[in-house]
Amino acid sequence: MSLELVDVAKTFGTVHAVDGVSLSVASGEFFTLLGPSGCGKTTLLRLIAGIHPVTAGRVMLNGRDITHSPMHTRNLAMVFQNYALFPHLNVFDNVAFGLRSRRVARDEIRTRVREALALVKLEALAERLPAQLSGGQQQRVAVARALVVRPDLLLFDEPLSNLDARLRDEMRFEIRDLQRRIGITTVLVTHDIEEAFTMSDRMAVMQGGKIMQIGRASEIYRSPANRFVANFVGPINELALSDIETVGGRRRARAAAQLVVWLPNAEEGFGRNAQSLLLRPESLRVSAGKIETENRYAGEIEDVIYLGATSECRVKIGEVRLSAVMPSAAAAGLGPGERVSVGWNAQDGVLVDAG
Amino acid sequence: MILVVNILMLIVVLAPVVIVMWMSFTPTATFVLPLTDFSLRWYREALSYPGFVDAFWLSFELAILAAVLTVTLSFLAAYGLVRYRPAGGGALKAFFTAPLLVSAVVFGIAMLQFVNRIGLYNQLSGLVLAHIVLVVPFAMRSLEVTLRAVPEELEWAAMILGRNRMGMLLRVTLPLCARGLVTAFLFCFLLSFSEVTTTIFMTGPGLQTLPVRIYNYMSDRIDPTVAAVSALVVLVSLALVAVLNLLGGLRRLTTQ
Amino acid sequence: MLDRRAGVPWLFVAPLVLVMVVGFVWPLLQVLVNSLHPNTPQGIDAAHWTLGNYARLADPFYGEVLVRTLRISVIVTAITGVLAYPVALFVSRLPPRAQSLFLLAYISPWLINTVVKALGWTLLLRTNGVVNTLLRGLDVIASPLKLLISETGVIIALVPGHFMFVLLPLWVALSGLDPALSWAAGTLGARPSAVFWRVLLPMTLPPFVAGLVINFIMNMTAFAIPMLLGGARNMVASMLAYQVNLVSLDWPLGGALAVALVAFTLTVVWAGQRGAVLLVSGRGARA
Repeated sequence: MSLELVDVAKTFGTVHAVDGVSLSVASGEFFTLLGPSGCGKTTLLRLIAGIHPVTAGRVMLNGRDITHSPMHTRNLAMVFQNYALFPHLNVFDNVAFGLRSRRVARDEIRTRVREALALVKLEALAERLPAQLSGGQQQRVAVARALVVRPDLLLFDEPLSNLDARLRDEMRFEIRDLQRRIGITTVLVTHDIEEAFTMSDRMAVMQGGKIMQIGRASEIYRSPANRFVANFVGPINELALSDIETVGGRRRARAAAQLVVWLPNAEEGFGRNAQSLLLRPESLRVSAGKIETENRYAGEIEDVIYLGATSECRVKIGEVRLSAVMPSAAAAGLGPGERVSVGWNAQDGVLVDAG
Repeated sequence: MILVVNILMLIVVLAPVVIVMWMSFTPTATFVLPLTDFSLRWYREALSYPGFVDAFWLSFELAILAAVLTVTLSFLAAYGLVRYRPAGGGALKAFFTAPLLVSAVVFGIAMLQFVNRIGLYNQLSGLVLAHIVLVVPFAMRSLEVTLRAVPEELEWAAMILGRNRMGMLLRVTLPLCARGLVTAFLFCFLLSFSEVTTTIFMTGPGLQTLPVRIYNYMSDRIDPTVAAVSALVVLVSLALVAVLNLLGGLRRLTTQ
Repeated sequence: MLDRRAGVPWLFVAPLVLVMVVGFVWPLLQVLVNSLHPNTPQGIDAAHWTLGNYARLADPFYGEVLVRTLRISVIVTAITGVLAYPVALFVSRLPPRAQSLFLLAYISPWLINTVVKALGWTLLLRTNGVVNTLLRGLDVIASPLKLLISETGVIIALVPGHFMFVLLPLWVALSGLDPALSWAAGTLGARPSAVFWRVLLPMTLPPFVAGLVINFIMNMTAFAIPMLLGGARNMVASMLAYQVNLVSLDWPLGGALAVALVAFTLTVVWAGQRGAVLLVSGRGARA
């Protein structure tokens, strides 16, 4: 079942929670809506579910226009942030709820509920009440309850944010695994970059009710469409550019009014109005000896911060401050005040517009 | 469908009060329907009727006394329960709420027989005592909520900075509870001012509060004078409710 | 605690406890004691003890009063129960400002004394009152309905009087419900009516039942409205108490009546609580 959103918008009073969003999710795809709180991702998910009516635009499920269908007719299922298990029903009745709404026969309910519980490994707890379950167990019940009705679309609203870190990692793989096996089209909402990267086939980064960029994790990380996306998915160094010129087929500019840098070759659309150069910390080379990168400069170490597997090196090139990340082994001999070479390959840089 | 039910219920709930106020403006000695001419004649009658005026002042005095005393006693008790959480606190809370379970009628009978026994029949003091007991459950509930809203850490900070508990109470806690105290006071005042059943049972002709006076008048005859006096009572009550609402009193009522 | 001297909390609590003991416990005990003495024309015979007052309560006259009181109370509570959910649901879905306004409208009658309300109902329900005039004007009825000095009038007037005791706890419960529960039920295929019956109602049943219990007790012990709108012909328990205590001045009997009323009230409350517990636990144990 494919999902398509065409120019979907939602206003609450004067607030444009969702502002002209269009995207497509292919059948069986795991798609994530990623963004900071308040970006409109949860509202968008609720529009897909039919919890709120859209102000404008269309929602199509497998080609069928469900924009105005009431939520109990859409045949999708949603797992909520706090699970929303019915506290007055035990696990079995919670999972059976959707089947009872569809008037499924008693025997079939029993079979399918047992199947669903087995899928999430909770058969033994069928008689328990939600209050007697741990957070992780409640989450699995919520997932079982959603899957048992065989929905056309599965929606997740920050399902893992209430779990502790270890459980979260575990559940990420379980959910992803489950989804792949069943092949159900899934949309997940999260603010956690690692979650989005681990679980999704593709994702949309949102801000201010709009989509900033859609793509695979690698695309978003390596080629962010703008400054917001770049900053959101990971730490970044930013250098303001001026005096851009082309020299012998390659482009260079003055960065931070001091350094002469070689720019990456611009792809269509990117870099025409480039005002800033973005550098991921891991693409910077710092060494006491010589380095072989296209852009190299003499610099000085301000601080070395040991982070375990990696270390962060804060360096200065003149007045320009940069942050580099490298394996701790490579940072072993470096200390504050030491003179080093700092550099990067031109293609590792990312050009973004002013805004 | 639900909308119809709601409109109906609102009408039913507000109708008697609205009618009383509307009818009190009748220019003639009977209630004419529909009422188009408005006159203040009966208000003048009501305000010059000594029975009502005396009763009003009695009710007023009674309500002030009952409210002040109840709020003082309840605030202290609530403070003891909320801050110290003594063993048996739950039982005490239940005890203070018990008057609600014993209905106004039974309590009226009890007070009647009791004040006679100790020679306080038809005395204001007996009546004040009864009204205090009736209002305590509500005052306790309201003040407990108020006190819980004041973080204990503030009191500790004040005491560490040198004040003893009494001083701290006066300088820190009390001012922070000001709104809640006023709300509780207004609430107790309103409840006492409109108390009918228990008061009827334990007072005689010499000590009639305004509601009781109206009741006795009504048992005799229904005329525009009593409608006017009732309308005035409604106005006073509604005014106090409005103030109560502005101070956020409703929220204190409905917090669990 | 900075001053954990034992006994300090009791200092704070003692004044109120004292007042309550003198003003609440003692009078009730007094009544109990009085009910166990025989009554004589000269007053209470404190030298002798008897259960005769309670025996007299078994008289069919009192039984008739009790049945009438029960009948009226059950009807009023039943009507209240049916109306409470529609009103509570409606109010809980309004924007916050409107909610306060509506709740105010339902609560304020409680803070205005019942006598004034009885006057209002009298003006509304009497033979040439508002209701009858309206109905005759619209040609719905030919001759006026006798709504006053009747049980019907009492029932009509009691419904709004004690409505708030069910509405308020129900509204609190409904407002406090996680909206995600309704959404979850909806996305799982439940129509709005199904969401109500299968999720909202079961989850708000305990406060609803508790409110109904209080409402019932208030109806059982109402005085001013039955007295002014029902009259001596439709005597209810509270009016009987008035008669016995203040007219006949038979305090031992009046005391027995009071004790009986308290016993009945407590029994109803206890039964209501047990019922609510059973309702809640019964649902969780289904397979």
